[in-house]
Amino acid sequence: MGLFITIMDYLVIFFSTWEFAPWVRGILGGLVIGAVFGGALVMVYLERKFLGDIQSRIGPNRVGGRFGVLQLIADAIKLFTKEDIIPAKADKWLFIGAPIVALTSGFLMVAVIPFDLLMIKGSEYAVAVSRMDISILYLEAVSGLSIFAIFMAGWGSGSKYSLLAGFRNVAKMIGYEVPLGIAIISVAVMAHSLDIVEIVKAQSTWWFIIAQPLGFVVFFIALLADVGRIPFDQTEAEEELIAGWATEYSGMRWGLAFFAEYLHAVVGSFIITLIFLGGWNGLPLIGNLYIPGIFWLIAKTIMVIMLFIWVRGALPRYRIDQVIDIGWKVLIPLALLNLVWSTIIGLMWA
Amino acid sequence: MIDLQIIPFAIISIIMIGSSIMVIKSKEVVHSAFHCVIAMMSAAGFYVLLSAQFVAVVQILVYVGAIGVMILFAVMLTTREQEVD
Repeated sequence: MGLFITIMDYLVIFFSTWEFAPWVRGILGGLVIGAVFGGALVMVYLERKFLGDIQSRIGPNRVGGRFGVLQLIADAIKLFTKEDIIPAKADKWLFIGAPIVALTSGFLMVAVIPFDLLMIKGSEYAVAVSRMDISILYLEAVSGLSIFAIFMAGWGSGSKYSLLAGFRNVAKMIGYEVPLGIAIISVAVMAHSLDIVEIVKAQSTWWFIIAQPLGFVVFFIALLADVGRIPFDQTEAEEELIAGWATEYSGMRWGLAFFAEYLHAVVGSFIITLIFLGGWNGLPLIGNLYIPGIFWLIAKTIMVIMLFIWVRGALPRYRIDQVIDIGWKVLIPLALLNLVWSTIIGLMWA
Repeated sequence: MIDLQIIPFAIISIIMIGSSIMVIKSKEVVHSAFHCVIAMMSAAGFYVLLSAQFVAVVQILVYVGAIGVMILFAVMLTTREQEVD
């Protein structure tokens, strides 16, 4: 552990002397994107294994030993060798652009996620590719771009099933971006800042989930809908729409679209950890227990990811009209109630 | 010695003008909608060049995230032409 801190100290001093050099930020960005990319891979593996346990199956157990660790690599090779089909009826540019837009939106979100805050010689350095004053607003704005990806895929495929999925997605997103935004505003009101680093610093004694549990519930449900996971995966409902907006995709194009979805889920877990579960702060009142903050952050994020998978294994899918009802009639009033509550509590929050 | 900021400015300008022309020239209405979104995003690029990050983010949040989606919502209620030439 001491060695780790020494290495981090060295890295930060190195970076701080080169603070404005763009290539350093480029390398750091590459590392962080690689880490989150790996995180998404781990999530896919965990999902298959854990979901297998929930459904009394074994899950992947052939490739790479008893636990099927290399199954994902085998799948990736399989996807790369498949034929790349663009349907004759497809709108070519929209069809090709959709996975690119989905991945771009995911990677842009990674840029402002801070992993730790280091105090070195009296000044603090956030371990993030970019630190903005308005990073939470930026995340909200950039995550909105993923709507276009699914719409492009749905419209561009030239297939009825894809088109229906695209329509469903737009109808769903119009409703769910609002409670998501209001829940974020409630957090920003309590932390007196739109900077994620400041929001995490405001949670050093008590996490925001304790101050506003309602906000956490609203944000979690809206996030599930935002990343399109069960029980809100009407955009790719297998029983109704084959594979929804991804029906016509094959080979690595499908792989990228699928991967972008997991990337969004992982980034969403990071956001939920940072703004409600205290980020790199340790347990309330107990503190960090001499464990570096980055491990706390990653441990909590993995727990949120497991919660996502658990929800997927436990709950059935809603109908699309029920989803829209929940968004407009339940989540938005609750989010507004939580905004009032957090404004009152925020005045007393130390 | 020219200011290096002219390069991103020129690139964003070309994207913005090109996509604005394509909004009018596109035969399919959904292409017009997407080009409109691209033009709005390039406006956010200009705000970043002026170091107005907040305005840039709000531009994406409001114009791309809300108005762009509303335009698409309107487009998806239209019927698609069978033959586009």
